[in-house]
Amino acid sequence: MNFYDFHVHSEFSEGESSIEEIAKRAKLLGYKGICFTTYLDNKNKIKKTKEITSKLSKKIGIEIFTGFQARNTSELDRLIKLRREYDVLLVKGSDLLLNRKAVQTKEVDILTHPEYNRKDSGFNHVMAELAAENNVAIEVNFREVLNSSKNTRANIMHKIKNNVELCKKYRAPVIICSGAVTHWQLRDPKVLISMGCLLGLELNEAKKSVSETPENIIKMIKERQNRKWIRPGVKVIG
Amino acid sequence: MKQKKLKIVKPTLREKERYMAFQIISEEDEEFTYSDLESAIWNTMLDFLGEEGMSKTSVWLLKDCWDQKNQIGILKCNNKSVQEVVASLGLIDRLGDNRITFKILKISGTIKSIKSSTSKNG
Repeated sequence: MNFYDFHVHSEFSEGESSIEEIAKRAKLLGYKGICFTTYLDNKNKIKKTKEITSKLSKKIGIEIFTGFQARNTSELDRLIKLRREYDVLLVKGSDLLLNRKAVQTKEVDILTHPEYNRKDSGFNHVMAELAAENNVAIEVNFREVLNSSKNTRANIMHKIKNNVELCKKYRAPVIICSGAVTHWQLRDPKVLISMGCLLGLELNEAKKSVSETPENIIKMIKERQNRKWIRPGVKVIG
Repeated sequence: MKQKKLKIVKPTLREKERYMAFQIISEEDEEFTYSDLESAIWNTMLDFLGEEGMSKTSVWLLKDCWDQKNQIGILKCNNKSVQEVVASLGLIDRLGDNRITFKILKISGTIKSIKSSTSKNG
């Protein structure tokens, strides 16, 4: 089974470790591929990150994808326009309107931690239905559990459990990511699977969320890179 | 007076065990002792699962199998609590002042097969 971690921050965004350190650690832990997530400050950043990651990918022997995370609606609109130029589009959850827009948009791959910094879980049955319809994966972020403790951890796990339950009911894809900001926060895929099980997923569903769901996203990436692709659901035939 | 030995429980009534081999990846290849690791595992698991949850896991770090040089160890638990134990290991990010990560090498039902896999890694 191939494992992927699709939400890792390097020194290019809010992370502390270099891309090389993270890629080497991911390889050691048994990942087949990882996605470095960064923010869109300017257009040149896409080219720059792609150049660095493609060199490292060959050097270390691990698939590296470039992901851009939208922090607000205007950033999301800008990223949708440039959708062909990078691999994965993530949306930073927390704001209710942004969460809703993310699950409504077909171009979005992952809605990261919808419950982040919120009193409620930031996700409801309407959003779950939309996420399933538009194939937007809902993220279970391991860093949120790792960096919290006692009552905060209990609250976060409760909110994630609620979201997972909704995703299961409406068959929305779930993806488990480490959300690491240093290479020390990367975790063994088995640890992520186990955490998924504790958060309400069945063992086979938890395994799918670190292998099959990312693989489906990779399929979409390859489809998008095809010249015949125009936008989700529209491509040139013949 | 010689104490009477407890009668051995039938195999079908015994708790099913799982053994998991793990390796500690640390900064500057620091060597940790058995007691360092044991206390870290117990503290984290008690925090995360609680005393009642911990009682269900029957977790035990095997002292004879701790390889201090390669930082490889074997943890024993019952078959129903593997996910809880693995997730708890993932929540250990420090041992003393050093940052660490656990790599799960293998999970098996017999100590024989787990020992053969750890000897290959070591």
